[in-house]
Amino acid sequence: MTTAVLGAAGFLGVNLVDALVAQGERPRCVRRPRTNVLALRQRKVPMVTADAERPDELREALLGADTVFHLAGHYPRHCLEPALSLETGLRQLRHVLDAAAAAGVKRLVYVSSTATVAPAAGRPSTEADVFQQAPPYGLYHALKWQMEQLALAERRFEVVVACPAACLGPHDLRVGTSALLVALARGLDPPHPDGWVSWVDARDVAAALVRLARAAAPPRRVILSAGTVGLHPLLLALARRYSVAPPSPPLPAAKAIALADAEEARARVDGDRARLSREIADLIVWGVELDATLARTSLGVVFRPLDETLDAFDAWARRVGTLPPHPKGAPWKHPPISTHASSS
Amino acid sequence: METPADLDARIIKLISQVVPVKPEQIKRGDRLREDLGMDSVCSMELLSMLAEELDLDVGVEDAAGIRTVADTIALAARFLRAKAAA
Repeated sequence: MTTAVLGAAGFLGVNLVDALVAQGERPRCVRRPRTNVLALRQRKVPMVTADAERPDELREALLGADTVFHLAGHYPRHCLEPALSLETGLRQLRHVLDAAAAAGVKRLVYVSSTATVAPAAGRPSTEADVFQQAPPYGLYHALKWQMEQLALAERRFEVVVACPAACLGPHDLRVGTSALLVALARGLDPPHPDGWVSWVDARDVAAALVRLARAAAPPRRVILSAGTVGLHPLLLALARRYSVAPPSPPLPAAKAIALADAEEARARVDGDRARLSREIADLIVWGVELDATLARTSLGVVFRPLDETLDAFDAWARRVGTLPPHPKGAPWKHPPISTHASSS
Repeated sequence: METPADLDARIIKLISQVVPVKPEQIKRGDRLREDLGMDSVCSMELLSMLAEELDLDVGVEDAAGIRTVADTIALAARFLRAKAAA
């Protein structure tokens, strides 16, 4: 059995490669021409270079693979050019699907997002809650929904879709969903709205993806979420965990979205990072409570508690410098915060 | 055997592929972030390119403390020595 991983060098990719290697597999790791492959090199896994804009390279990279994990969906750095980002995301996904079909792939596991899960009245949302058209929130939701629709429309081979919540854990070198956490732990006061946020350990996502790939009759689309909490209460608990000042009160939704737009425009000019990205603002403002029962029952996924995820993230982040080292004499063990968070 | 000057030139050439600065304008004392405009993702990509070019087993943890061109050269030299001794 040959397995190819698109996006193997990324945050989820490295965790997935570890999960596959732990099962005795030697996945073919497809990487972009210019990306950080230090973690993959240390794992001595085979690497193939392919650009999502080059169909011939993709076809070559997937040739002979029966299973493909696609973790390399277009991820715009900002939301300032929605039409261009949508066009790019859909074009690149078409290239991947066509390459997989040409290569004779049997099953493709596509990593989408919980941004595609619609709200449900009076209960947590499940896989049955779908948007009938692109959610009218912002680029990130629209892009993820359109890409997921395209993947699910594929008929030349089987496609299964995973919708992971905000992923936390080791190997988040780009500081993606952990941006608010890292800012807070560094003693900054990150501006934020309030709303539901769902989290999941990247290692649990990896385990679930492997099961999706190997199950005889996997669910077509599955939510991967360890729990849902209110963001502001979570940040208050994290401030206690990291012994830093509590965050300022949350911004009203409209103000947070306006700030995110202004920050992205500023960051684009200054060449640095927005203090609040539009994607994160939308995910929080429009966040829904999630029910991940299907992942537990159909795939047997056991989601780690938040404290365990944070301990693993902290240990890794302090080694690589994403978080500062512990102050001398500080207790090694953080106070638990899971009592403040409700699992769904 | 590569001389220290060869290694300097090779690494400065790699840096010039990552940032829009000509090799002759890059100095050993330049800071990757403040002087050459690299963000953390960019500097990791540089060290990854370096690891691939020189076939070195540099870890993400090793790369974390790199701040300057001289740090980058010193890291490469250390890993090359370790590789030669292995």
